[in-house]
Amino acid sequence: MMVGRVPLARRNLFQDRRRVGLTVLGIAVSALLVLVLDGIFAGSMRQVTSYIRSSPADVWVSQRSVRTLHMSNSALPPETLDAVRGVQGVAWAEPLYYTTNVVEASDGTRRLTYVFGYEPEPGRVGPVEITRGRGPRSGEVVIDDVTADELALGVGDRVSVMGRNLRISGVSARNTNIINTIVFIPARDFRAAHGEAVSYVLAGSEEGAAADQLAKRIAAAVPDTTVQTRSEFTSQERRIVRDMSTDIIRIMTVVALLIGLAVVGLSLLALTLAKQREYGVVRALGAGPGRLAAGVIAQAGWSVVVGFALAVVLALAVGQGLARFTPNVRVAYELPAIARTFVRLLLIGMTGALVPLRRVLRIDPASAFRGS
Amino acid sequence: MQESAAPAVRVRALTKTFGEGELAVHAVRGVDLDVAPGEVVLVMGPSGSGKTTLLLMLGAMLRPTSGSIEVAGIDLATAPERSLPRLRARHFGFIFQDFNLLTALSALENVELACNLAGATGRDARQRAQGLLERVNLGHRLRHHPDELSGGEKQRVAVARALVNDPALLLADEPTANLDSSHGQEVARLIRRLAVEDGRSVVIVSHDERLREVADRTFWLEDGRFVQLSALSTDPVCGMEVREDARWHWRADGHVWRFCSPECRDEFATSPGRFASRSLHD
Repeated sequence: MMVGRVPLARRNLFQDRRRVGLTVLGIAVSALLVLVLDGIFAGSMRQVTSYIRSSPADVWVSQRSVRTLHMSNSALPPETLDAVRGVQGVAWAEPLYYTTNVVEASDGTRRLTYVFGYEPEPGRVGPVEITRGRGPRSGEVVIDDVTADELALGVGDRVSVMGRNLRISGVSARNTNIINTIVFIPARDFRAAHGEAVSYVLAGSEEGAAADQLAKRIAAAVPDTTVQTRSEFTSQERRIVRDMSTDIIRIMTVVALLIGLAVVGLSLLALTLAKQREYGVVRALGAGPGRLAAGVIAQAGWSVVVGFALAVVLALAVGQGLARFTPNVRVAYELPAIARTFVRLLLIGMTGALVPLRRVLRIDPASAFRGS
Repeated sequence: MQESAAPAVRVRALTKTFGEGELAVHAVRGVDLDVAPGEVVLVMGPSGSGKTTLLLMLGAMLRPTSGSIEVAGIDLATAPERSLPRLRARHFGFIFQDFNLLTALSALENVELACNLAGATGRDARQRAQGLLERVNLGHRLRHHPDELSGGEKQRVAVARALVNDPALLLADEPTANLDSSHGQEVARLIRRLAVEDGRSVVIVSHDERLREVADRTFWLEDGRFVQLSALSTDPVCGMEVREDARWHWRADGHVWRFCSPECRDEFATSPGRFASRSLHD
């Protein structure tokens, strides 16, 4: 819109409130779908990597070629732990035992879980935060608060993990994601059920030592392992989850954007057809085709801006609702993703404006003189 | 009217032919016309006679097949295509049969938009639009939208809109066709006043016999040519003005009714009494 000019495009667009309402709603639904998908994806990424990011370990050592927790099975000989501890620059090293299993309440309700076995003393690689109770002793387990709520469990209740009936000694936080939860048991119990092999060795560096340098030293000193810094391990974990979900998210996003395209295209075309005579008048009065074209583009822009603003508000509401009713699904809206969706939607809006644009450019000013 | 002044509009041998060969339709054939500043010219004629085609060519909306149209020293027939919108915005005022106000805009905005197209923006455009609406006695209806205005008010807004660029030539297409008698006369007088007070040339295309009262000259266009104007009578079916020597007529009881088309004559024939009494009553 040019300053000081009558905003004909905007007035035309908002003249029929029902039509513009449907248009904006259609665009908002399309944008909402994309925003929420992106939000769930980003939230899941944060949840999935929460344990890794919160861990005090600077370096993760795993079996050769194993680079992730998810979809992986790492088995290291028990002596790997001492080998890592003997590397210069290593302040501490702890074993982490890991498998995938289910946690089952006494009423039979089940939830997919990672089972982490760790040494309760010193307990560096155990749950980051225990909100109720305490760490596990033999025959005990720490479960996550979301799972505890879902399965209506509390400290002192009993669950079945890896075929063993365990007492809940504590409840941790931030260890449940859209796919699974994490429960923690003592290393001794894990070894008794699953064998002596260590899944990962987590190491902390001495003060002032760089994590990547330490990782290189460990890799050189301990053969047949994959050694990654915490950030590398996080990136790998993100990548595998992204690779698993990208296709479905891409398909859903394309569908949502196509809905947006159809809504913008059809509604602008309908508006252009309804205003064809008036556009003829404007052309007769001296408007060049460029001005009418700019009007159609402005209408697409307005539709997208208003629709997107509504979508953002709705997305925030959806995020709140999901947090309340499905705590294991965390929605995280990230500014780059929001900006990306807006730009995509703008492009969709401009694409949707092409057909009405073509029509408006063909409007004959003489049509203003033909009787209705 | 200023007889001695140089014409504001000079049309020479203006011709428009649609199609080619046997399918060619000669809408306008070799029309010559000079319109002096302040002169009101009325062009009448039956449907399909070429009136609107002539008007479109005068308004730089249709290219003639041959001939010339000079307005404000510019030959519209040879002006580059992309300059035509600007010419329309700067040199012409248009008044349409259906008012053609933009329904999403108020009366003030309708006029202001035309100001914008003529190059004025912001407060200047708004003040000019308001002044013009006050000139046509619509100062109290500035914020009203077209659907809140009467037919006469709408046409006055359209007249104000046509004046925003202080046009040398005002082109009016059936300006009274959708108005009742009193509003029609009101608009006709307004157009006349604008021509006289501003020295503006006006070309009106219409069937409305009442407009002859405000015209300095009246031309009869038939088959694309100006022909000598003879006495007119009224088609008793559609109410259109037709020449006394019109091709389609009906004789009964010593009276002759004349029609604009064979369809009107045939309709008359189905119930002559009904149409005849209406005609005589009118």
